[in-house]
Amino acid sequence: MPTISIFQEDFSHLVGRRASMSDIEQWMPYVKGEVKDVSRDTGEVRVELQDTNRPDLWCVEGIARQIGSVLNKGMTPYPFFSHKGPAKRRIQVVQGMEAVRPYVAACVSLGYAMTQEGLDQCIQTQEKLADAFGRKRETVSIGLYRFSSIVFPVTYGLVKPDEIRFTPLGFEEKMTPQEILTVHPKGLEYGSILAGCERLPLLWDSDGQVLSFPPIINSRELGEVQLGDTDLLVEVTGTDLSMVVLALNIFASNLADRGAAIESVDIAYPYETEFGTTVKTPLDMNHSQHISLDAIEKALGMSLGSESIQEALTAYGYQVKTTRQSVSVKLPPFRNDLMHVMDVAEDVAITRGYDSFSPIMPQSFTVGSLSKEEQTSDRIRDLLVGFGFQEIFSNIMASHQELVERMRIADTEHARLVEVDNVMSQTYACLRPSILPCLLRVEALSPRAFYPHLLFEVGEIAQLDLEADLGSRTTLSIAAISANPGANFSEIHSYLDLLMYYMAWPYELEAVTHPSFLEGRVGQIRCHGHAVGYIGEFHPEVLEAWQINMPTSGFEFEIRKSEP
Amino acid sequence: MNSPSNTDSLHPLEIQVLRALGKDPKPLTDLQLVQHTDLAASQVSMAVGWLLTKQLVSLASETTTTYVSLTAIGTQFQQAASPPEWILQTVRSSAQEGTSLTVKDLQGTGQFQPAELSRAIGILKKEGVLQLGAGGTLEATGQISATVEALRSLLNQVHKGSRPLDSFPPDHQALLRQYAVKRGNTQEPFRIDDHTERAYLLTDEGQKLLPHLREGAAQEISQVTPELLKDGSWRNFSFRKYSINLRPPRLAVGRRHSYREFLDTVKYKLTSMGFQEMRGELIETEFWDMDALFMPQFHPARAIHDVYFVKNPKKAKAIPEPFLSQVAQVHRDGGTSGSKGWKYQYDCERAKRLVLRSQGTAVSARTLAQNPPIPGKFFSIARCFRYDNVDATHATDFFQVEGIVLGSDINFRTLLGLLKLFATEMAQAKEIRFFPAYFPFTEPSVELHVRHPKLGWMELGGAGLFRSEVTIPLGVTVPVIAWGLGLDRMAMVALGIQDIRDLFTSDLEAVRNMRRQF
Repeated sequence: MPTISIFQEDFSHLVGRRASMSDIEQWMPYVKGEVKDVSRDTGEVRVELQDTNRPDLWCVEGIARQIGSVLNKGMTPYPFFSHKGPAKRRIQVVQGMEAVRPYVAACVSLGYAMTQEGLDQCIQTQEKLADAFGRKRETVSIGLYRFSSIVFPVTYGLVKPDEIRFTPLGFEEKMTPQEILTVHPKGLEYGSILAGCERLPLLWDSDGQVLSFPPIINSRELGEVQLGDTDLLVEVTGTDLSMVVLALNIFASNLADRGAAIESVDIAYPYETEFGTTVKTPLDMNHSQHISLDAIEKALGMSLGSESIQEALTAYGYQVKTTRQSVSVKLPPFRNDLMHVMDVAEDVAITRGYDSFSPIMPQSFTVGSLSKEEQTSDRIRDLLVGFGFQEIFSNIMASHQELVERMRIADTEHARLVEVDNVMSQTYACLRPSILPCLLRVEALSPRAFYPHLLFEVGEIAQLDLEADLGSRTTLSIAAISANPGANFSEIHSYLDLLMYYMAWPYELEAVTHPSFLEGRVGQIRCHGHAVGYIGEFHPEVLEAWQINMPTSGFEFEIRKSEP
Repeated sequence: MNSPSNTDSLHPLEIQVLRALGKDPKPLTDLQLVQHTDLAASQVSMAVGWLLTKQLVSLASETTTTYVSLTAIGTQFQQAASPPEWILQTVRSSAQEGTSLTVKDLQGTGQFQPAELSRAIGILKKEGVLQLGAGGTLEATGQISATVEALRSLLNQVHKGSRPLDSFPPDHQALLRQYAVKRGNTQEPFRIDDHTERAYLLTDEGQKLLPHLREGAAQEISQVTPELLKDGSWRNFSFRKYSINLRPPRLAVGRRHSYREFLDTVKYKLTSMGFQEMRGELIETEFWDMDALFMPQFHPARAIHDVYFVKNPKKAKAIPEPFLSQVAQVHRDGGTSGSKGWKYQYDCERAKRLVLRSQGTAVSARTLAQNPPIPGKFFSIARCFRYDNVDATHATDFFQVEGIVLGSDINFRTLLGLLKLFATEMAQAKEIRFFPAYFPFTEPSVELHVRHPKLGWMELGGAGLFRSEVTIPLGVTVPVIAWGLGLDRMAMVALGIQDIRDLFTSDLEAVRNMRRQF
């Protein structure tokens, strides 16, 4: 979810009316925005935009455009999307680009003298689009250039890594693309996108001047837009043509909103694309589609009538044609998020305001119930609380150290557990296969809490099981410990025995060895012939590893396996 | 508490101590109090402790004196002989019998440790009392040993009772220190300890109480016993009145965990509203965690959703059909859902990738695929994991309360109706607001804001109608509400917790102290 800065003055100008801070806040639902922070001195408003499918709203121009459309009950179409005939300028794509970074889109912006505010917003939009929408420039990256110095046609082609030198933004001296990748901060940050490419993408003009080395860095001569520049070239490159074109459409619309005249650029491909071999950009990719009025009314639970639906959608920026039973709608060219009629239904609801829909209580009768596992857990919890045990509630992620080494079970059958691949912190690298370590952690951290310590937890554990579909099983387990100067096997056995008696789960103990417990003071708990858990006095080495100075005994068993 | 009317609540021990102090205008020490009251030292110390707390008695003086006492070994030495004394006696008596002894002979008797013998012999030789003869024999010179004499006298003096160290002359003090128990050497005859002697006086309040002290307090009893009840003899006694405002002793009791108890009320609330509980696996496939929820494998929507991957095995064995094909189709071109789909090459292998469940909605997705009853209402309180740095607002694993409602009457307005119900039932809120929201798997989507009576305006949850791209591939043809509630903030405020990690704290004291404040 991108968060962007907009400025009250700039926003007011774009939306075409004086907007107070509370206006801005009140209009936010139209763009699924949330005001995070307001600075009354500078007029800066930090806005978080929720909709990841509406990159057109990740900029002040887009927000103002959408809100303005609702307030004005409609939007005037941008003329540059309907330019016909060959464009005045052309970018020639070179054979071989299809294997590296196949697509480019561009337009020319004339007559808007770049202000500080405009430039800041351009840079913010460029960053948000390339970062969040373009997956950190992998699928989409954007460049702006000083149009007047460029001699068309421009070539989008490939060069060997050390074939050419130009001065990149942020540096004084000329460098080869290879040097940029190894030295320039942007090269280091984004170079991995071009990993494995023998030749690298480059944009250059008819005079041989380099525009940029996409998606890494612009040239300093042509690609450093300055305040007061009136004419710009905007270029988008990437790996997905619809996304590349959409990003350009958004950028072109933004500049047009600031007063620029937008002129198209023809992109000539030596290979086939979904829009042909010559693609005039910006390009309106959307088509009119029929949607069912009935589906919208049914989804919204209200008979709105075709007129008011048409009114709402027009206000939201759609082009709408209605007949009696169907509506034909088309999204504006800077959006392509219409996948299903429900997307249209939501826009109707947003335009009308969610508060205009009166809530209805669902009427159907259903029987509520807890799962069998939960009911059993609750019975066990009630019993142990009655026995005087304090319930503990732990995180399920823990460290290997806690779950294995401290339990003295390294390199044994007990040490099998589910581990995380992308570990963020060793403290949380594994899922617990047993709850006892969590209880010992509490004991270890609480020597000053007054004794006796009777602790229990009923909860989920994850057991590695390569036979299972998911490679592991989630199951419920009950663990309890007693820590006090007189804690021993017999005491904890009494609690287990009482618990099993009240649960009416017959059990047996079989003398076994388990590294976590003292030999001769550990038993395997067995229910109807199956091993379900262990009970015993913790081995002093286990207690030492946890730095516990109090005799401690405990038991743990699986709930599901123990039920008759 | 200190007023005369409250003398009834004084313990008989306190009364005896007060009386003793009242008889003597001079401060009395613990020891003197024992002598004046016939109480045991521990009883005096208990009573003085209580009286100090009640400010009826004050500390008049505190003097620390160093005392010398005998150890068990010292008592043996006093009764028999110290090592130098024994050596001198032994050597002299064998000389009278005409035999001479070597150091080895002395060691052979096993009377003292070799080290002790060597030390004693060293001292005696230095004093000129013993000398070494031919063949290593020990010979007494006939001189008197000052050390032996002094030790004998000190052993006899201290044996009568411990005495202050400074009551001995300086040379004897040095000797006592030399033969006193030290760290590393416990086999010595003397022990030197600091004793702090405290003397007490009545305070003005205590003086005022004196005339009001009960007579015969010693005959009062504090505890009703089975014996007193059995033979009815309780009638012969009066019962001491207690200070009932004292803090009672703490108890270690069994109790539910407060956060879990909070979640218990949530689950009972939901079942009472007709919701049936669902359960799921902690480890899920990307398929059920994300793909089935129409989150495309490539889209930025997936980037906001960072997950933990499982190390081994990395993939599930298989994704059940027909769900895999149907979900793949809906991602590719919308299938039969009425959608255009995401238009990309869906990767069936990636769908098998195992992750730690990152959202509770995965549990709902599985329920949808199991031919659920219609109408139906379901909920889960599911443990979820996010790849986040753990801090005051991010826990490594946490609970999501979420669920679904299926029915032919489900639409946007019944969705709002359900949320309104949640607002009243879960947050006792009378004022609510709905905002447009975005979730990858619902459309329309809504955020529920409520005015909680204690917390003010807060976001209570998010919800929406499941996209057809979610329901159709899983075989559900009626509309479905998907909802999730964010209750942790409410729980934290109710439990007086600022840091989300404290919900799962391992500090027993904190767990015991945690309680719901509303």
